[in-house]
Amino acid sequence: MHETTGELGASTSPPLVRASGIAKSFGGARALKGVDIEITAGEVHGLVGANGAGKSTLIKILAGLVQPDAGTVEIDGHAVSLATPHAAADLGMNFIHQELAFIPSMTVLENIMLGIPKKSRFGTIDWRAIERDVRPIAKRVGITSALNANVKGLSTAENWLINICRALVRKARLIVMDEPTASLSGSEAEKLFQIVQELSNSGVAVLYVSHRLDEIEKLCDRVTIFRDGQSVAQINKDGLTRARLVEGIIGGAVESAAARTASSANNKIVLNVESLARPPMVNGVTFELHEGEVLGIAGLVGAGRSELARLIYGADRPLSGAMTFKGETYAPKSPSAAVKAGFGLVPEERRADGLVLNKSVAFNAQLSNLHNIVFSPSLPLLNFGKRRDGVEKIVRDLAIKTQSIDMAVGQLSGGNQQKVVIGRWLLRQPKVLILDEPTRGVDVGARAEIHRLVRDLALNGMAVIVISSEPDELPDLADRVLVMADGRIVRELQGDALSRNAIVAASYANIEHNRTA
Amino acid sequence: MSQNAHTPRRLSPSARVALGLFARYGTILGLAAMIIAFSILSPRAFPSVSNFTNVINQASLAMIIAGGLTMAVIVGELDLSIGFAASLHGLLATGLIVSNKLPIPVAIAIVIALGALIGFVNGFIVTRMKVNSVIATLGVGTILTGLAFAYTSGVPIVSGVPEAFLQLSLGRWLFGIPNNIIIMIIVLGTLWVVVERTSIGQEIQAVGGNPSAARLAGIDVARVKTLGFVISGMCAALTGILLASRLGSGTTSAADSYLLTAFAAVFLGSATLRDGEFHIFGTFVGALIIAFGFNGLNIFGAPTFSQYIFQGTILIVAVGLSSLGRLIAES
Repeated sequence: MHETTGELGASTSPPLVRASGIAKSFGGARALKGVDIEITAGEVHGLVGANGAGKSTLIKILAGLVQPDAGTVEIDGHAVSLATPHAAADLGMNFIHQELAFIPSMTVLENIMLGIPKKSRFGTIDWRAIERDVRPIAKRVGITSALNANVKGLSTAENWLINICRALVRKARLIVMDEPTASLSGSEAEKLFQIVQELSNSGVAVLYVSHRLDEIEKLCDRVTIFRDGQSVAQINKDGLTRARLVEGIIGGAVESAAARTASSANNKIVLNVESLARPPMVNGVTFELHEGEVLGIAGLVGAGRSELARLIYGADRPLSGAMTFKGETYAPKSPSAAVKAGFGLVPEERRADGLVLNKSVAFNAQLSNLHNIVFSPSLPLLNFGKRRDGVEKIVRDLAIKTQSIDMAVGQLSGGNQQKVVIGRWLLRQPKVLILDEPTRGVDVGARAEIHRLVRDLALNGMAVIVISSEPDELPDLADRVLVMADGRIVRELQGDALSRNAIVAASYANIEHNRTA
Repeated sequence: MSQNAHTPRRLSPSARVALGLFARYGTILGLAAMIIAFSILSPRAFPSVSNFTNVINQASLAMIIAGGLTMAVIVGELDLSIGFAASLHGLLATGLIVSNKLPIPVAIAIVIALGALIGFVNGFIVTRMKVNSVIATLGVGTILTGLAFAYTSGVPIVSGVPEAFLQLSLGRWLFGIPNNIIIMIIVLGTLWVVVERTSIGQEIQAVGGNPSAARLAGIDVARVKTLGFVISGMCAALTGILLASRLGSGTTSAADSYLLTAFAAVFLGSATLRDGEFHIFGTFVGALIIAFGFNGLNIFGAPTFSQYIFQGTILIVAVGLSSLGRLIAES
């Protein structure tokens, strides 16, 4: 099953890291069924695969967070044991997690040095000496904020730089980056790519894990593809194409996007938003939403899109402006009022805001539909049969991969967790469904399924709002796209005018405009 | 989520399984071991139907108040007012019956309604005024203690308590089973059904598990949390009434110590069968452990001070077991 293209360089010295035959099970689920991966010093090595393919498990093994059931890890040709994160770090393995964790009350420097043995002088920590050592490294990775500044309020991009700096202070030989650009803006991502290149040039290897295949194509010297817990292919830069990556990830040709349905612009208006504002993030937004329409909201991170969704959903209250829903004044005091009126929201942060992680798939899926699964409203005893039937239907319809509907939802992969949150609203059937970044961190296959599902919902009359930071996503999916910047709608695109480039141009155009204004 | 740079020593899989079993079944095994040990050490006094009935009868009041507290902790809050509230309720019930000559059922209804009101006030302060529940309920509890002293000027109501009121707690109206036990079974049974088998129970669990997700799923988090406090307040009222009936008097501070017992029971319960999750059956088991422990200490004539040491120790062990369960659930 192992396919290798191109020559790996004729060097006879052992690779930096060679993991072979790594297997790992969690409970009954086999996350890794014997994978191999080889990373040479100084290369940018891509790791791709659908959610649940085993990427995270391998990363955690390399980081010493999880112990493999079988297989060996060699560094410089010597078998090693990565028993703890500390042991892994001592061997030069460093891991930057999707969700970065810092101690907010500490300075940049203190966070960089957290848990690293520090120089001391007369028994106290010699911060000045430490700062002298760290400063050139910080400069190299492009940290612009002062080392003694507080980490609170720094951007996600700066957090990344601090983490990379931290890895370098620890004399990292391999840095694992898990979905690094998931919450970075376009320019921040560009900067990160440069740093990845520089790291690579200076001999530090990077294991780059991402769903964004354009980044993989652009950055990586070699790519390993995981599928269902196995390493199914390794592709060298010269053989690297989008089509081959996708083929390897899903194990077959990709299905084309759902055909565009007839325009819904003439349908009845369900929601009318009029000068809605809650400064500084939302500064007067006006639009209409039609029955059976997929309305995209595009824009850069910080443009006020999620905040607009929160206003519509009653999670925040607008300071001015008004809404009408099906012809009547609509001013929800809380999400619960919005849900009662006929709204649904798939939040951006599904783990933090979407799911009760230690509860079952069934519990989470039925959470907004409780009134439909009781025997009677006056005696609200749960009808477990009804509850199960509904959940089994969405597990089937959305192809949710779970051992049973009683499994804790926290144990599912990201894409399947997202499907559970979406499934919740399929059971509830709202009139307006808002999806905030529905395919972030979701693999190619699940992404196509979610898109198809959104189209189906619209076809059945639901009005759907999709917020997306990926300009590629909306032209395929939406009938109409509103581009937001600085809390306002700066462009409305539909029909032939709706394209990736038009969205990107509109997102940035207004920022230039405002700066010069 | 839990990417600690310094996760302590990794557990081997077998150690984790063993620890997991210990965390889930440790309390039940401990209860069984305690009963067996006491039976062997004191074969005449301990293992008898009358002693067991007596232990459960004694424990019933703690079980009721702990059952109420369980509702508050499931929604993710703490209720420290319950012991003080129960003291005031007992006092008030006695006073309404003795001084105001109210019929017993009316007095009981008034006191339980007051318990609900106190719970509502707790809920209001926590959910609307956004005061941390530890502070809010400690403040309310202290106010209630003040009210109790104001009501009686510190003098207990001892004379004129009608026999019918005493019989509420002392009687055995059904098959010779003490009333306290019957009432406890009804209360805990109802709470169990509410939490595990109703839609509001699902909301309660969701609010405790992830308030942010519950809110965005359309659940009225403030209402559900307030409900937790209201039930906690009503259970405290019932415990106060039954205690006054058992003591035959209204005494300030009579029920204060139930606070600690209730917390120990609730946390022991969260380490029972589930990984650090609060639930009604667990609270029942937790209260049983404490009750049998006390009973054992009594039978062996341990001095009074040892009971405090036992209770303090068991509270710490309980919370320790509870967090161990959660740690294992997360790993």
